Amino acid sequence: MDSKQLEQLLEKYWNCETSLEEEKQLREYFRGSVPENLKDTADLFRYFEAQQSYSVEGTDFDAVVRKKIKQQQPQGKSVSMVFNFARIAAGLLVVITATYFVRQEVRKAYPPEIVDTYSDPKLALEETKKALMIISKGFNKAQREAGKIKVFNEAEEKLQKQGKKEETI
Amino acid sequence: MNLEMFETLVLPTKNKLFRFAFRLLGNSEEAQDVVQDVFIKLWNGRDQLGEVQNMEAWCMRITKNLSLDRIRSRQRRSTESINDGFDIRHEGLTPHERTEIHENMQQINQMIAALPEKQRQVIHLRDIEGYSYNEICEILELDMNQVKVNLFRARSAVREKLVKMNAYGL
Repeated sequence: MDSKQLEQLLEKYWNCETSLEEEKQLREYFRGSVPENLKDTADLFRYFEAQQSYSVEGTDFDAVVRKKIKQQQPQGKSVSMVFNFARIAAGLLVVITATYFVRQEVRKAYPPEIVDTYSDPKLALEETKKALMIISKGFNKAQREAGKIKVFNEAEEKLQKQGKKEETI
Repeated sequence: MNLEMFETLVLPTKNKLFRFAFRLLGNSEEAQDVVQDVFIKLWNGRDQLGEVQNMEAWCMRITKNLSLDRIRSRQRRSTESINDGFDIRHEGLTPHERTEIHENMQQINQMIAALPEKQRQVIHLRDIEGYSYNEICEILELDMNQVKVNLFRARSAVREKLVKMNAYGL
């Protein structure tokens, strides 16, 4: 890089018009010996470059970070698990409570239909007897009527017998 | 993010984060604490990192925020100057030149430390860490114009002081 190019590049640098690549060129240039008039500028670029090598002190930094991270891990997980369980438990609680109240309401609204119509057992017995008598009467009547069907059966049997006799003759 | 990604993507940024925190705080112990805090914060929030495009810029941004939190909480800026990091490449320099350079380094250090906070941040990220303007915008949460204005002011201030330093032999 000749002095004219350098001057132009520096001017661009002071005006914040240089690219990262051009700024790198400047740092590289100022690593070596420079003319007297550019000494102060060279110091600035050397300072920038020197700062890049400044690093975290102590070799155990990574180990400390890893250790701290591991300490954080289980804590974070258990907290989230407790939260999840709490969420599920809360959900179940709501469902159970709701079911309980709904059932209560349903019971109130529809009372059971089968209830005793008689409070006095004797009266109930009489009524039952009366009901059974009606059924029994009905059965008797039906039996009498069914007896009449027998006549048809007898006539049919006689006809069959007659038929057989004719076949044998 | 799992431990492997953390080791390969996040942990190697430690020196950049450290330098940036140090630039803001001026104290190496505090800067290291900040870097550790950044890593722990990132690890704890690793499930939300899916949308992060540039992990390094993201780390730098958290470093800036945590460093500024510390500055606010202590309510004063440390006056400790940067005494380390002057490992200069001296190709073809005489011992006398080296001593002189070392002295000048400290003066430049003080010049930059004396800059307003934003200018200090921008000049550090551009001239020491070599970030692009876009990355600086992302790290500092500023727009392009603000970044360029701050960089211009920072470089101009440094240039002016360099000229004075040379003229008066300070």
